[in-house]
Amino acid sequence: MAVDSQLETQLRETQPEPGPSALGTERQAASRRRQAMFLSIVGAVGLLAAWTIASIATETEFQLLPPPWEVADRMWGFIVGDPERNVEGGTVFVNFWDTFRKTMYGFIGAVVVGIPIGILMGRYRYAKNYFFDFTYLAANVPLIVYSILAVVLFGLGDAGPAVVVGLLVLPDVALNVAAGVEGVDRRLLSMSRVYGQPSGPALRHIVWPTFLPFLFSASRASFAASWKLATLAETFGGTTGVGVQIRKAFQGFSVADMLAWMMFFVIFVVLVERVILIRLERYAFRYRLQRDEDVLRF
Amino acid sequence: MSSGSDVATAPREPLGDKAATQRTAAAMERLKAIVLSERAARWTARLSLILIWQLVGELSDRMPTPVDTFNFIIDEFQRPFEGTEATWWNNQVVQNTYLTVERTVLGMFWVIAIGIPLGYAMGTYWRAQATFTDIIMVGLALPGYIWALLSLMWFGFSVTAPVFTVAVSATPALVVFVMRGTLAIPRELRDMSHAYEVPFLERFRHLVLPSMAGAVIAGVRLAILAGWGLVLVTEWFGLPDGAGQQSRSWYDAANFDGLMGWALIIILIIIVFDRGVIERIDKRAHKWRGNIEGFGTKREGTG
Repeated sequence: MAVDSQLETQLRETQPEPGPSALGTERQAASRRRQAMFLSIVGAVGLLAAWTIASIATETEFQLLPPPWEVADRMWGFIVGDPERNVEGGTVFVNFWDTFRKTMYGFIGAVVVGIPIGILMGRYRYAKNYFFDFTYLAANVPLIVYSILAVVLFGLGDAGPAVVVGLLVLPDVALNVAAGVEGVDRRLLSMSRVYGQPSGPALRHIVWPTFLPFLFSASRASFAASWKLATLAETFGGTTGVGVQIRKAFQGFSVADMLAWMMFFVIFVVLVERVILIRLERYAFRYRLQRDEDVLRF
Repeated sequence: MSSGSDVATAPREPLGDKAATQRTAAAMERLKAIVLSERAARWTARLSLILIWQLVGELSDRMPTPVDTFNFIIDEFQRPFEGTEATWWNNQVVQNTYLTVERTVLGMFWVIAIGIPLGYAMGTYWRAQATFTDIIMVGLALPGYIWALLSLMWFGFSVTAPVFTVAVSATPALVVFVMRGTLAIPRELRDMSHAYEVPFLERFRHLVLPSMAGAVIAGVRLAILAGWGLVLVTEWFGLPDGAGQQSRSWYDAANFDGLMGWALIIILIIIVFDRGVIERIDKRAHKWRGNIEGFGTKREGTG
């Protein structure tokens, strides 16, 4: 399940090959970029238009599908407060922070446990075989089962979502760390031993740089999935956070609130992906970027 | 073997001793090789998983032990779905999982019907890609269970809700896979087949299908995994029957044996399906390639 953000990367980087007519000049390329931009706006506007039409066509007193502007109004209410509906200002930030906090606990736990396991897996064949089924299982268990586990084991509260996020992220971290360890240049390590370098700097200059990018790609790959799992677990048995707000919207039968939270969700995921994670990754990969290696695309 | 014949022919005591030690050493080596073999490692892992579960079950007052869960599943097989007589067909496990599988299949029908043409178009025509990229991106960022709740509110507690949920939330991932797959079609061959005016069906059969098979199967596999989970979520939150609803009813009854029992059934079905069906189809689809490593070959996890 942790492939969502990898898919996003692929989606952004996939370009259909230029047809025979577009083989070429920069001006043509620029005009194509403009056209592509235009088309993507057309796509977005088309979606909004379809939404509006559907909302008008299905209008009843229950408001099954509120129009976009109504949802935008709700979203604004969740940001600055809406006394009419008893919503305090900044509700969005409080709830997203709560969920984010739990996700981070899970992430940190997964990294702490996953790095040693990954090192073992990269170093010993036995460990690799031993942990193989664990990683397979963790990748194939439906998210709902994780959420059930969270409720059964930890009851209501913060621990459940955090632990299951950790369980979900753990195999990704371990596998990526294992790949990183396998990639460490043994000759460099032997050389540093021959020249009597202490192992501290060797670790810092040889092992760590090989290893860090893999860790980043693990966290990038797991981010979207773990965030989704955290909210689902909250919906099942949380007391605070985005998931709880979504549950409230469902129980109150408020489609507008639900759509508003959905939009926040998209904004948040895209923002974190684009702004934070990509930058971190470029930073981790910077020494390879200097060598003009196309590493961001694996 | 040679040490054995040494023992038989040599009357001298010390050599016999030496041979014996050699033999034990060889046996130890073999034992070590067996214990450290891949198969042994994997079975040790499975065993330790059950042990961990047992341990957690003993420590936690809510989590049932493996034996409890197993007993529950057997009981559930003996509980009739309708009427009073339980048969191999008319029992809670088979009937409810059948309903869930049916809903997943219906949803997957739409996912494939929309995802493959759209992904193919996006991989082939840059205009299609420019139009739909952002929409697909939003679809990927959305969690499926929000769709589940929304569709329950929209379509009521009927079969439409899970099917719609699966269709909208599993399609984007398949689209991306298929889009990547179309890029794997060798461009020279595509141009050549255009130049020689190979009919569409023939081109599809001999060029498009074999090159895209790997990506499409990977995408469908992922979509099925996501769809299965989402049908369960929809059932949990609003349907009157199905595996997800069963877990919900045991949860509401605060019966954790039942909850874990159904969770186990859910996991087992998807894993059996993945191992038994998808993996076989994948192998078949890759047969023509033999042992060539290339595009689309499975790279587990470390992608």
